[in-house]
Amino acid sequence: MTRYKSPFTWRKVAESRLLFPLVALAVILLIDLMIIPNFFRISFQQGHLFGNLIDILRNSTPVIALAIGMTLVIATGGVDLSVGAIMAIVSSVAALLMNPFVLGTQLEAIKNDPTYSYSPFWVVLVLPMIVATICGLWNGLLVAYGKIQPMVATLILMISGRGIAQLITNSQRIQIFYKPFSYIGNGWLLLPFSLYLVAILYAVSWLVTRRTSIGLFIESVGVNARSSLFSGIDEKKIKLFAYAFCGFCAGIAGMIDTSNISTSDATQLGLNLELDAILAVVIGGTLLGSGGRFSLLASIIGALVMQAVTTSMYAIGVSANSLLAVKGVVVILLILLYSQQVQELVRRITGRAIVKETKS
Amino acid sequence: MIQKLNILLSKNRRLLPLSAAMVLFSIAYIAGAAYLPGMRDSQVFFNLFNQTPYLLVAVVGETLVVISGGIDLSVGGIVALTSTASAALLRIGWDPWVVMLLMLALGTAMGALMGYFITYLKVQPFIATLAGMWIGRGLAYTISNESIAIYDRTYSILARTKILIPGLSNPVTQKGDYITISVVVAMTVFAIAIYIAHYTRFGRTIYSIGGNNGANEQSARLMGLPVDRTKVLVYTFNGFCSALAGIFLSIYTKSGQGLLGNGMELTVIAAVVIGGTSLLGGEGYVFGALFGALITILIQTMIQIQGQLITWWTLIMVGVITLFFISLQSFIANLKIGKTSGNTTSRARRNRKVLCYGGGAAVLVVLAAFAFYGFGSGRSSNVTPACQLKPFRPEQVASLIKDGAVIAYERNGGTNCIDEVYGIYPDGRIVGDNGTQQIEKQVTPEDVETLLSFIDDQRWFTDNIYSTSHIPCRICYHYFLTVAYQGQEKTVEAVDGGTDAPDEYWLITGQLSMILPKFTAAP
Repeated sequence: MTRYKSPFTWRKVAESRLLFPLVALAVILLIDLMIIPNFFRISFQQGHLFGNLIDILRNSTPVIALAIGMTLVIATGGVDLSVGAIMAIVSSVAALLMNPFVLGTQLEAIKNDPTYSYSPFWVVLVLPMIVATICGLWNGLLVAYGKIQPMVATLILMISGRGIAQLITNSQRIQIFYKPFSYIGNGWLLLPFSLYLVAILYAVSWLVTRRTSIGLFIESVGVNARSSLFSGIDEKKIKLFAYAFCGFCAGIAGMIDTSNISTSDATQLGLNLELDAILAVVIGGTLLGSGGRFSLLASIIGALVMQAVTTSMYAIGVSANSLLAVKGVVVILLILLYSQQVQELVRRITGRAIVKETKS
Repeated sequence: MIQKLNILLSKNRRLLPLSAAMVLFSIAYIAGAAYLPGMRDSQVFFNLFNQTPYLLVAVVGETLVVISGGIDLSVGGIVALTSTASAALLRIGWDPWVVMLLMLALGTAMGALMGYFITYLKVQPFIATLAGMWIGRGLAYTISNESIAIYDRTYSILARTKILIPGLSNPVTQKGDYITISVVVAMTVFAIAIYIAHYTRFGRTIYSIGGNNGANEQSARLMGLPVDRTKVLVYTFNGFCSALAGIFLSIYTKSGQGLLGNGMELTVIAAVVIGGTSLLGGEGYVFGALFGALITILIQTMIQIQGQLITWWTLIMVGVITLFFISLQSFIANLKIGKTSGNTTSRARRNRKVLCYGGGAAVLVVLAAFAFYGFGSGRSSNVTPACQLKPFRPEQVASLIKDGAVIAYERNGGTNCIDEVYGIYPDGRIVGDNGTQQIEKQVTPEDVETLLSFIDDQRWFTDNIYSTSHIPCRICYHYFLTVAYQGQEKTVEAVDGGTDAPDEYWLITGQLSMILPKFTAAP
């Protein structure tokens, strides 16, 4: 298949979905460059790369994973509020599989053994992911077949999910000592291992959505569910797929986070992360509420923007809790960047460039 | 007969979710009273209100927002901000009434600002109020990273004044059933909101804006209704309600901190949905939100009184009940109203029916499991804590005090079934004994003196601090604290997990736990 290669024009830049997220990211990094010395320094220690930029990448992996799934859900015109709760459930399941002492079945003595896991490693990897996908399927069933408004349908799991997670671990925090598991979130292969994991996730979802017609179907369901039904697209199955995939992505995010903190933490793990993920998608330009066209890459950049703000605030010395306020202000500013007034301004500026181009 | 019922249902289908909420509340309450003797006290009913006036106020504003087709996530953030800010201002000696007014103004301004963003700058409600929530909570943490206690006299008068219920109390002895001032204010707000929603032009505009995925807003605009102004006002009102909720919460907990109201927006939205308001907007009742909130609180109270289930069941129950009400709503929305609606196929209708019955069945299953697991065992063997409760060891405490200790502290229970006795001496020596292990720690005498004067500041030796006792739940602790200070000596016991002990008691145990040595976990 030969692809038509269009020449570079200003209009293409202005209409690119990547423009605004990239501009936002650039602005934040520029501010860092000006006020934080050595922000961009990357050092090489013991075969690993270290530095603020690597930190941004590493810490944003859970949100990136969530944002990939969330993009598809938002593109179908829905939203998934339950991803944080799914992460907590996944965390509890994984921890219980490795260290089920809360059930009274394990000896306390081998609890600290880093080579010991109660269940085989592949079960620890697969079963939580299956649980996460089932959670996603449940959301999808309610939304697609139950015709419940997405925000409400996923609210149910969002509320009860943390309760379920607590129930699984008998409301205790289970510590994880198993070494191979901690590699998921803490391992390094020059770059953090979780980064590769998320890259694979992105590659797979890009292939599925852009190299098959599923992506197109998702967009058409988001733009107009009825007319896509009339044109032969099974709108329900598409929605079901999107929510199940979102659950799966939440599972990956949950595994990364659990492995990172080496504990199952049903109350705190992934708390408010659904909001970060939704915001990442919105910064990426996918319309919340109406759905339609989406860009996975733009959402990932959105997630990086969120994390860049966080990391640079830490670098300046803002405390973790006060950071929320800064984040709120940044969100408002970013969203205003998307307001019609600003968009028109950009169009006017690039419009002039286009006129120039056509003249020449 | 069935046909008649059907017609009745169809005619009043809007009232169905509301009445379902009321019926569920009554059933749950009666069932609770039947199984749990602790629930039969009529004060328990009033305590549903007394403990959570902040939730009652918060649902009022949220209901109006949801009816107008929006959503407000900022409730918890504003609650955290107003409670922390008021605690901080009271600490530096501001007048409590000025503080309260200022906080109300602050919340209202935040609401108005969010409304402005949503209405005129076309920021989505979800995003704008999310930013509001983050800003509120972040500012609260910026003011103080820790909890600030409120010692203000007006606040404690507001918290302690009992408005006795006529007929259920004795006005002479001031004993009997009561509600607090906060509840009266909350109910007034409710009454005002109901009046606004149903009897004013503004209220009708709110209803006309919501629903139909934004199309109704367009029609309202074309009809010449002041859509923009109404939307801003709705968010402003919710900001006011959230600020009021924050004040109530700081009165109730006598403290302010950034963590207060964490996740509250979720409870509030769930309560609004349970109360029969459609999240699509355009439909719903402020009155229903009262029952939505009460059902949530009732579940919590029942789990607390039952004492054996972990509190996380509350969340699961709320989730399941929300599911039931949502499926009920979607089922009702689909009931035939005289004519068949054109655009829903019979298959979709069947799906919804299945969903509704499925949701109902799920509620029943969970209730049955709840009854079987919780009430059943609770009735047969009373409450069985994780361990056999070890008796209070008065001799050991007495010997500690006789030995010259100023504070003797015993804590037992919990999941690991501990039984620890600590003694603190005026020279800063702290000894601990958990039956198998003895530990010691040395702090400065000044630390001990500060702690003692802190305890005295809480009016330890007055009736302000009194003993409470009930059988502790599985993960709760039983505390006994003896303080000997300036010739006085007093022992107070309490159990956490309940809500009956004085708040100051927990402030004191919190201070204590900071300086006490920790036992290493048994090998």
